[in-house]
Amino acid sequence: MTTQVTTDETFVHPALFYRTEQEYTRQTVSFLREGLTNGEPLAVAVPGPNLELIKDGLGADADGITFLDMTEAGRNPGRIIPRVLRGFADAHPEGRVRIIGEPIWAGRSAVEYPACAQHEALINAAFEGRAVTILCPYDETRLDPEVIADARITHPTLISGDGREETSDVYDWQAVVARYNEPLVAAPDAAVFSYGREDLPAVRQFAVAQAGLLGLAGERVMDVELAVAELTTNSVIHGGGRGTLAVWAERDQLVFEVRDAGRLTDPLAGRRPPERGQLGGRGLMLVHYVSDLVRLHTGDEGTTVRFYLGR
Amino acid sequence: MDALRMVGGSGPVVPGRAALEVSPLSGRCGIRASGEICEVTRPSWERALTELSRCHEGVSYVELSQVAFVDVAGVTALAVTAMNLPDGRVVVEHPPPQLPRVLRLFWPDLDRIEVAPR
Repeated sequence: MTTQVTTDETFVHPALFYRTEQEYTRQTVSFLREGLTNGEPLAVAVPGPNLELIKDGLGADADGITFLDMTEAGRNPGRIIPRVLRGFADAHPEGRVRIIGEPIWAGRSAVEYPACAQHEALINAAFEGRAVTILCPYDETRLDPEVIADARITHPTLISGDGREETSDVYDWQAVVARYNEPLVAAPDAAVFSYGREDLPAVRQFAVAQAGLLGLAGERVMDVELAVAELTTNSVIHGGGRGTLAVWAERDQLVFEVRDAGRLTDPLAGRRPPERGQLGGRGLMLVHYVSDLVRLHTGDEGTTVRFYLGR
Repeated sequence: MDALRMVGGSGPVVPGRAALEVSPLSGRCGIRASGEICEVTRPSWERALTELSRCHEGVSYVELSQVAFVDVAGVTALAVTAMNLPDGRVVVEHPPPQLPRVLRLFWPDLDRIEVAPR
């Protein structure tokens, strides 16, 4: 497989549709060897078993490549752009970097999937005009046809398991961001707390108390306090001055949902790492970093952000 | 540091309401804070850090054993203050657990700040 000819500032974002382990290994290893030939920094963030396939395929060439288990680093798809992709690309500002990122695997839940699809779409905005190549493998035999269809919309270039490359004729990443901007409805049995500016400590304490009642412990309770503080502060500053927090349990996870009257206009909010000495811009990113999943809906009627934490 | 004695928040300390009191340390360059560092008390926290950077020489101390909570913006203000110092470092004593957590997430290699845990 040879990826398309690029200029220095072109972002390249192909999807690879594979059907067998052999196809997977052959295409990903070929992609990485091409990067080695070009002297490009290389990173691989894919689910653990696929990491092993790639390492075995590369042999000694695997030395010097950064490997991450995407089921851990990218458990919350909302942190993949700032933490994994930008994290690696920004650490190598000279020349092109080449990454394999597999954020969607069989087993991603129906609750996770909209955030996964939006993540794939937003990669195009996050890296526009940057000398970065990100190959995203998709398991055609185990993923739903709807997932494969969405990948054709979120990737400008499509590569089949035998290495044939084509330009997507349905590429339209904004459409996928909009389609999965789905309204969110709190659970009917949620514990609810309405707050204004003076209630910020109280709503935080409410969240911590609910987390304890619902079985969360240790550092995750501190993460709840931090994340709820960021979201409720956003409501007070940007979301009309007040909002509502709802907390409930959903199977093995706790859900914290903040609803206010604001509207989020920047689709990359929370995914664009600020400059090191910049004062703002870390609140929503903190929520992405500490939680297992973030779902968001924004529109004329307001914004709802919910985050999930495993018990 | 004589100018550095300030109370933030809105009015007297009330349970459930945010307040922050900051005062200079005696015998060494630095500040002691009590209360919580959040949106409501941020102006007084940032004023205290500005004052701290003015009198900084070599090592400054920030004593936070009586601070119950600090948010991301509060940690950011401290980190940026430390980054902008001409030299030396800031020793943060006994901070609430959110502070090292946020530092690890956003500035894992910031050697201008030394944390003495609770």
